[in-house]
Amino acid sequence: MTRARNRLDLEPDTVERDLVKLVLTVVELLRQLMERQALRRFDDGGLTEEQEERIGLTLMLLDERMTELRERYGLRPEDLNLDLGPLGPLLPRD
Amino acid sequence: MTGLRYVYAVCRPFGTPLQAQLTGVAGDPPRLLAHHGLVAVVSHVPERDFAEEPLRSRLEDLDWLTATARAHQGVIDALTVVTTPLPLRLATVFRDDSGVRTMLQAREADFRRTLDRLEGRVEWGVKLYADAPPADTGAPAAKAATGRDYLRQRRAGVRAHEEQWQRAEEFANRLHETLSAVAEDSRLHPPQNATLSGAAGRNVLNAAYLVPRSRSEEFVELVDRTKDETTDFRVELTGPWAAYSFAGEKP
Amino acid sequence: MGRLFLCGGETLTVVERREVALVDLLDRLLAGGVVITGDITLRIADVDLVRIDLNALISSVNENVPAPWGE
Repeated sequence: MTRARNRLDLEPDTVERDLVKLVLTVVELLRQLMERQALRRFDDGGLTEEQEERIGLTLMLLDERMTELRERYGLRPEDLNLDLGPLGPLLPRD
Repeated sequence: MTGLRYVYAVCRPFGTPLQAQLTGVAGDPPRLLAHHGLVAVVSHVPERDFAEEPLRSRLEDLDWLTATARAHQGVIDALTVVTTPLPLRLATVFRDDSGVRTMLQAREADFRRTLDRLEGRVEWGVKLYADAPPADTGAPAAKAATGRDYLRQRRAGVRAHEEQWQRAEEFANRLHETLSAVAEDSRLHPPQNATLSGAAGRNVLNAAYLVPRSRSEEFVELVDRTKDETTDFRVELTGPWAAYSFAGEKP
Repeated sequence: MGRLFLCGGETLTVVERREVALVDLLDRLLAGGVVITGDITLRIADVDLVRIDLNALISSVNENVPAPWGE
C-alpha cells in the first residue's frame, strides 16, 4: 500500500471542509454522550413520558441535522473522528 | 569500504548461502559479520542517508520508509529460510564494524539465550475482523414517528451492537485459546488502525503466535478451518515471520 | 500466505501468499524485534513519529513504542 506524500492543501474549500469536519466531530462527540445519557435514563425509567418525548425528538433532530451537514460536505460518518495517537480514536470506530 | 553499518538481525552461523540477488537496504547486499560464534547480518549504508540527522527525516518520509522496510524484510525473509534470525528493530545503524562487534560482545549472553529460545520457531500473525452490524449507529431504517420511538430505536440499535461485539469477543477468545494450544507462546497486540490498514470491519483480535516450524503446517490448517467455521468474522493469517514479537524479554 | 519452505528435512508446504500489507510490516519492524541502545546513530523512539504521514504510523505510536513526549 503506497501512498503519495500529502502536502498540506491550502485551497479554501479544503480549509472550510476541514474546519467543518472538526466542528462536526466535536458535535458528534456531544451527541453520542447525550444519547448515552438519555438511553441510560430511558432504561432506568427515570424520565416522564414528556421528558422522553422531548429528549427523543431533540436527539432525532440533531441526528438529522448532522447527517445533512455531513452530506453537504461529502463527509462519511467514519470521517468524523480524531486520532489521538497513543490515546486511540476520539470516537468509537463503529 | 566506508559507510555506516545497518544491522538487520543476529543469528548463529549457518551453512546455506543466502538467496542470491538480495538487494538489501540502500542496495547493498547483506554481509555476514562473525564474532564469537554469533553473526550479525549487515549492509553498508551511506552516511548521507543514515547518519542521525538525515535518518531522522528519512524515517518521516513514508515512501522512503516503505522502500527501506521492504528491503529490510526481504533480508529477514531470506534469513528465515536458512536459519532462525533474531530480528533487530528497523534502522539499527552503527558507525563501523568495530561498533557492531562491541554490541555483539556486550549482548552476547542475551543473544545466545534468546536464540536458544527461538531456535526452530517462526511467528504467525492472526487477525480477526468483525464486520459492522447491519443496523448500526447511522440513521434508522424507518424514521421514528415520535421522540419516544426514536429512543426505542436507538436502544435497540445499541443493544444489537453490544451483542455483536460480545459475540466477536467470545469468538476471539475461543480462537485465541485454540491457537495458543498449538503455539508455544503468544502476544496480544493492540487492534490495528482501520484507516491505515484499509481493512473492512473492526479489528477484534491482533495476535502473534510462536510456533515450531514442525507444527506450522498444523497451525495454518487450524486457522484455515476456523475461516470456514464462520461467516460473521474474517480471519487473516500472515507469516511466517521471524519472531519479531518474541525477540524481547517476556513481559 | 507466503511461500513457506520448512527446511531441515521437514515436510515442504507451500502456502498461498498475498503481498504483505505495509501495516503488518511496519508494525513488526517499528514495534517488534530487539532494541539496541548504545553506539547507534538513532533510536526509533527518538524520531518524532507523529510527523510521519499521520495515518501511516498512528498504529505504531502506542505503548509498545514509547512516544517522545512520554519519555
